[in-house]
Amino acid sequence: MTDWSESTRAAPVSLRRESLAAKALDRESLLRQLDWVLVGAVTALCVIGCALVWAATKPQGLGSSYLKKDVLNIVIGVGLAAVACLVDYRTLRAYTPVLYGASVVGLLVVLSPLGQTVNGAHSWIGLGGGFEIQPSEFAKIAVVLGIAMLLSEKREGRAEPTTQDIGLCFGVSFFPVLLILLQPDVGSIMVFGFIIFGMLALSGISGRWVAGMLVAAFLGILVIVHLHLLHHYQIARLQSFEHLDSKNNASAQGVGFNQAQARIAIGHGGVWGQGLGNGSQTNGQFVPEQQTDFIFSVAGEELGLVGAGLIVVLSGIVMWRALRIARLAEDRFGMLVGVGIVCWFGFQIFENVGMNLGIMPITGLPLPFVSYGGTSMFASMIAIGLLQNVRVRSVR
Amino acid sequence: MLVVSLVATLLGRLWYLQVLAAPQFRAAAELNNVKDVVTEAPRGEILDDAGRPLVNNKPALVVSVDRIALSRQPQQGKLVLQRLSHVLQVPYTKLNDETTPCVYVKTRHVHNGKVTTTVGVKVNPCWSGSPYEPVPVSQLRPTLAATRRALVIQEMSEDFPGVTVALSAVRHYPKPDGALASAMLGYIGPISSTALAQLSPQQQQIERNTQVGLTGLEASYEKYLHGKPGVKQVSVDHVGAVTGVLKNTLPTPGDDIVTNIDAKAQADLEKQLQNAINTARHSGFSADYAAGVVLNVRTGGVVAMASDPTYPPSAFVPSISGKEYTKLKNEKGSPLVDKAFESAAAPGSTFKPISSSGLIKDGTMSINGAYDCPQNFQNRHNFDGEAGLGFIPLRTALIVSCDTFFFALGNTDWNRDSALVRAHKKPREGVQRMAHAYGYGEPVGLDLPSGEVATGHIADRANTLLNWKANKANYCAGAARRPKGSYLQQIDADNCKFGYIFLPGDQMNEDVGQGTVTVSPLQEAVAYAAIANGGTVFEPRIAKAILSPTGKVIKRIKPQVRGHLPLPKADLDYIRNAMYGVTTSQSPPGTAVSAFAGFPMNKVLIGGKTGTAELSGTSQNGSWFGSFGGPAGGKPQFVTVIEVNKSNQGAISAAPFVRNVWDDLYGFGGNKPAFPNGVPPTKLPTIRVQSAAHSHKSSGTAGSTPPATSSPASPGTSTGALGMPPALGVRFEQREPRA
Repeated sequence: MTDWSESTRAAPVSLRRESLAAKALDRESLLRQLDWVLVGAVTALCVIGCALVWAATKPQGLGSSYLKKDVLNIVIGVGLAAVACLVDYRTLRAYTPVLYGASVVGLLVVLSPLGQTVNGAHSWIGLGGGFEIQPSEFAKIAVVLGIAMLLSEKREGRAEPTTQDIGLCFGVSFFPVLLILLQPDVGSIMVFGFIIFGMLALSGISGRWVAGMLVAAFLGILVIVHLHLLHHYQIARLQSFEHLDSKNNASAQGVGFNQAQARIAIGHGGVWGQGLGNGSQTNGQFVPEQQTDFIFSVAGEELGLVGAGLIVVLSGIVMWRALRIARLAEDRFGMLVGVGIVCWFGFQIFENVGMNLGIMPITGLPLPFVSYGGTSMFASMIAIGLLQNVRVRSVR
Repeated sequence: MLVVSLVATLLGRLWYLQVLAAPQFRAAAELNNVKDVVTEAPRGEILDDAGRPLVNNKPALVVSVDRIALSRQPQQGKLVLQRLSHVLQVPYTKLNDETTPCVYVKTRHVHNGKVTTTVGVKVNPCWSGSPYEPVPVSQLRPTLAATRRALVIQEMSEDFPGVTVALSAVRHYPKPDGALASAMLGYIGPISSTALAQLSPQQQQIERNTQVGLTGLEASYEKYLHGKPGVKQVSVDHVGAVTGVLKNTLPTPGDDIVTNIDAKAQADLEKQLQNAINTARHSGFSADYAAGVVLNVRTGGVVAMASDPTYPPSAFVPSISGKEYTKLKNEKGSPLVDKAFESAAAPGSTFKPISSSGLIKDGTMSINGAYDCPQNFQNRHNFDGEAGLGFIPLRTALIVSCDTFFFALGNTDWNRDSALVRAHKKPREGVQRMAHAYGYGEPVGLDLPSGEVATGHIADRANTLLNWKANKANYCAGAARRPKGSYLQQIDADNCKFGYIFLPGDQMNEDVGQGTVTVSPLQEAVAYAAIANGGTVFEPRIAKAILSPTGKVIKRIKPQVRGHLPLPKADLDYIRNAMYGVTTSQSPPGTAVSAFAGFPMNKVLIGGKTGTAELSGTSQNGSWFGSFGGPAGGKPQFVTVIEVNKSNQGAISAAPFVRNVWDDLYGFGGNKPAFPNGVPPTKLPTIRVQSAAHSHKSSGTAGSTPPATSSPASPGTSTGALGMPPALGVRFEQREPRA
């Protein structure tokens, strides 16, 4: 705690001292410094996402209401990204404890009577008027910023993070992870695991630590399974993945049903797809959650190898640009934020597309920018804003 | 690097799913989305020669359970099924089992390194149809009670979500003039798995829950009667709700079968068989059964054919209970077996015209000769111990039915053949060969499933040896097991040692229709028809033509000639004339004269032959009378044969009832004649067709518009006991999934 109060006093490394307002007015230079490849890839993913959300929700008799909400989410998300980009990330670093505290409070609220359960996970806070938010999405940003802050704090002049630093990182992660475990949301916990692991591994800690963490993760999984900390449906969903190749599972309305139907949809698409709005699997709503977690199956069926491949390539571009921004970051905080976001997106994209393709177990993770879902969109957009923020302030 | 490998992994998998394995997934997607909804085609009707339906369809209310709708209710609709089980008075577990789609399990067997796969049904009582079709659960029997139960459900439909009450067609038997014709008509039932396996995979999908003819005409003319089921291809969503109609082929009704059966003649025959049984029983005889046939001698058409006791044709609608079936099977006289064509028995002296033909043909006898009719021949006495008549011509022997006359000739016959055998030559066996020419011991060729039609038996040297080889073990076991000296033990002991020998006594017995000759009444009718028509042996036909539902002739079923008797015309005429003497001759006294006393022979001349067959294990007789007749001075038109089991002599227990059938046929004794001019109609009946009838021809993508449900109404088609308008479809059964 004392560390954080010190951080507020730490002087920004940048020599530029323009006011926020002045920076905002200095459009030309800022715009020129943005990573336009990243902007382009995210924009393309959002456009494809909108089309798919429309195609996925139309057969449910919902008209274009989801499409409208999705567009609204994108607009709000772009606004949040702009804020995340404009505020100097080093300033942001000073407010990290506040953000962290807010996200923990948010996760606590979820567990209060205000929380709502969707698909077995008690992860939502209803805001009234049909709006709801998922605090665990924001917690991802908070944890990325928190760990980045901790690992960069005393780094200047030192070779590697101390054991104390690593302990603090786990401590910082402990509350959100515990609270999300209570929801429970296995997918998000796995994302957190990858964020922590990736950020620590790239912060320069020794190989011993990396190996130790891998072993700990493995033991942790064993303990979770053996102490029945997971609900039945979660284990079943994870197990169904193992049995996917036995065809019996595909026809049964059992746990493998989602994945089997998703694979059928994707396989049905072929190279060129059935055409937007023409997928029989999609129109028959054979794949559950086809506008959110399984939206990739809609892409596979209606847009084919061409469209689904494009999503994978665009997502790859997002990660590539993020990695590049992290690499070129002028300070460790910026680098670690970039790394954290790459780990977050990387795992989430691979897991989501992988479960659609039947090579990863099913978890409730959305595909960034493509899946329908406000909080996920906001959090992802803020992440993009942060990446641009780091980049803008790294480019000279 | 990591990013590239992750992207490559995903793209590789995408490539596999969408390019390499795409055909498999395309098929799976189609299986998901496209479902066939089958609409049964209305089955064709079976009509008599005047177009009166013997079988048609009747609307009945059918209660069906929509499994998909139930699956969306709490506890898979358990509450609704429980309520339904209460109303229908069917146990819940039975109802649940029967409405649960079958689970087909593939089992792999490895035998000697070879792997075979069999597909079995996991849960036995289950719904074998499409899970997208509502499962009928109520008894289809159109009874008042069943209807009342169905109406209760319909009225309280809000208590029975997912349960539908719909109009359906069930087999109905109008019984014109009271005619049953149960065994000839046969019955329908669910298609067997073996029959299903012969269809194409696509047809299997469509027909797997269909009803097909299992016996009788329903089975032999199945391909005409069945019609073509309508198939509606619908696209469905993940819960099975219909999202659209892709293709809609309306059902094509089955064709109607016009038969040679005359409902009135059939009813009369059935009535006379009952009379025969009742009369014999009144005189203290057992009279287990009676069977009879009326045949058109000019075409081989079956005008009437019946067996008593029988069962109502509706016994198998919609299905017969195991209890009921066992009862019918074990009942005295075994009603389930039609003795007119399904079983054969010793014909007694009604065989003498056939043995006479054979004896003449092989030269043992001549129509110009006279042969001895002693009281006894080689310890075999004449029938009922009648006195000898000395040397008499064949005519007299047939009229008075002298047995010793045939014993002596049979003995001569046997000795000659025996000499041939000793000389390593082929025996002539003239009687046997002639019997086969008449159709005895041969497949009859009736247009019913061949397994249902008895071939009878004519013993000769070759098949006696074969039979002995096949049964020797049984005979010898019987000889050892049965009480020593008992009648059956002696027979078994004799058969065990000497059963391979065709003895002179066997030939003698055969020539008088005893022992190892067995024929069905239908076979005798065919043989007598050949005598009557100048030697043409027909394959008898029940069906006469196949008509489309609109009355168009699809096919005429022509008389089939099996062959011609290898007997000179003069000899056959002699035998036929002698047989007229059996009913008319005062001196010598014809055996059936008293039965035909008062019959207007000047209008319709009847000839025939009595038969009294000894039955093993009883002093009662197999009583037969075979006859032919037609307008006096003209050619014979019909043959009538009646067999009464375990009764008095043929002249007493069978002949009088044959005479009654003749009275009924020609309208003597205050009866209405079966045929106005005494001749079965050659013209086909005209079927009245309603104007709406043609609408069923239209097919195409009709979308949600209901298919035409009206149909050609055949004469006698009622609007049904339920008061439904005919438009509600006597012929159509419409099943649709509910969205």
